[in-house]
Amino acid sequence: MIRFDNVTKVYDQTARPALDNINLEIDRGEFAFLVGASGSGKSTFLRLVLKEDRASSGAVYVAGQNVAKISSWRVPRLRRGIGVVFQDFRLLPQKNVFANVAFAMQVIGKSRSVIRDTVPEVLKTVGLEGKENRLPHELSGGEQQRVAIARAVVNRPGILLADEPTGNLDPTTSMGIMGVLDKINQNGTTVVMATHDDDIVNEMRKRVVELKNGIVIRDEARALYTSMIPVVGQSRRLKDASGRDEEPPTPGDRQPGAGEGQR
Amino acid sequence: MRLAFILGEIGSGLRRNVSMVVSVILVTFVSLTFVGAAGMLQLQINQMKGYWYDKVQVAIFLCSDGSTAAGCATGPVTPEQQDNLQTLLESPAVAQYVNDFQFESKDEAYKHFKDQFSNSPIVDSVTPDQLPASFRINMKDPQKYQIISETFSSQPGVETVIDQRQLLERLFSAMNAASLVAVSIAGVMIVCAILLIATTIRLSAFSRRRETGIMRLVGASKMVIQLPFILEGVIAAVIGAALASGTLWAVAHFFLGEYLSKQYPDTAFISPGQTLILAPALLILGGSLAGISSLLTLRRYLKV
Repeated sequence: MIRFDNVTKVYDQTARPALDNINLEIDRGEFAFLVGASGSGKSTFLRLVLKEDRASSGAVYVAGQNVAKISSWRVPRLRRGIGVVFQDFRLLPQKNVFANVAFAMQVIGKSRSVIRDTVPEVLKTVGLEGKENRLPHELSGGEQQRVAIARAVVNRPGILLADEPTGNLDPTTSMGIMGVLDKINQNGTTVVMATHDDDIVNEMRKRVVELKNGIVIRDEARALYTSMIPVVGQSRRLKDASGRDEEPPTPGDRQPGAGEGQR
Repeated sequence: MRLAFILGEIGSGLRRNVSMVVSVILVTFVSLTFVGAAGMLQLQINQMKGYWYDKVQVAIFLCSDGSTAAGCATGPVTPEQQDNLQTLLESPAVAQYVNDFQFESKDEAYKHFKDQFSNSPIVDSVTPDQLPASFRINMKDPQKYQIISETFSSQPGVETVIDQRQLLERLFSAMNAASLVAVSIAGVMIVCAILLIATTIRLSAFSRRRETGIMRLVGASKMVIQLPFILEGVIAAVIGAALASGTLWAVAHFFLGEYLSKQYPDTAFISPGQTLILAPALLILGGSLAGISSLLTLRRYLKV
């Protein structure tokens, strides 16, 4: 569904690349976590999928299409196939829940009757039935994120990108959101979620792709936030990468298993 | 659905930005009024040309009782002098420049005068004796006025030779200068209008960046995202153009129709209806200026 072929993204010629020769494939219907410290390239990855940026070299394929070859007037069609959720929800404050979700359908020209049928259905999926007429500020953070998810999936995209969707939420609420994302994934949507939230990653036991300084340092199925297995083959690359990185260690770099013990 | 949505977006955009929209309306209104005023002056010139130029006449006024010109030393024109002048007009030397000529007697001059100035009190104080008789000449080539003037000015019994076309030319050049001034002012105002529209659209795009960001993410087409902004500018400019058209009509109706035409009854003025042919031009000009400047602004400030 998403394939990166030797993708490099350079924002600033003098600094290290944001993504450095990434090869990655995420299959249809998969649920993948993208983990790594700030600046590791997670957001760049998501931006390349959305064609918000162009890869400096290599090719990004989304649903079988090379996004570099999509002409600018067809980019909206690409984006209709991708739902996006953010840490800060990005709801329209003056529109109620129903209108916020309906907005995503209005702007691509769906008819009023289709909107009337679809929106309540999607709101039910995310667990917001009965709250159609609330305004965003009348909802809790978790509920607001559910509205954002409903808006992202209301047009039935094949891919859902979530950029730290639980970053602003407490652990219990976060688990609720993960339940919603999991349900959407069960319905056949490919979900890619960038996150710092180790509890969630450990709980879900899905594929984990770990980025560090623009390099994939780990790609494991049914994995934890931090690797349980010492990665022999990649240790040299890891060392190279950390050699270039002068940042102090982040919580993501703690010893394997340390996170598990606390739970 | 999409149309209703776009209309809704335009409505909310206009409401959110009322003061800027009003200033766009006013600036386009003023600038297009100047454009229209220039257009009206040209229409008026054409109108007057239509009225006079097919009747181009050189007038040879003959001496009357009070004449003091050199040719009138012998007092009022005598029948012999008048016959001589007519013979001269018919002679081959002069006739080659003349289409035809008419003699206007004092009584006829009085009659025409009364017709022209029927609304003016001056009619009561003028008698046929005070008005000169004249030969009215329709020239083959109006440029050859000089020949007629030289031939007749010194003839006995001729008070003066007047090229009425020359008088009009002076009027026309004044009007052309006025319309040039109007166009220059309009040019400056149009620059103002374009910049103001660009600023307004920029503000509008900024205040709705959340919406447009979401629209982009869910895959709204470029048209759906940009059209509300462009139409916002176009609508404001078109309202301004409509106000300008209305103002021109009012000027033609109240100032020309009810005031100037009474002051200068011997002049043909354009009718209010004629100014309405300027209206579509102003609407298109205003609309396209706004459309283009909005489009260029959006290209820079609204990423799609």
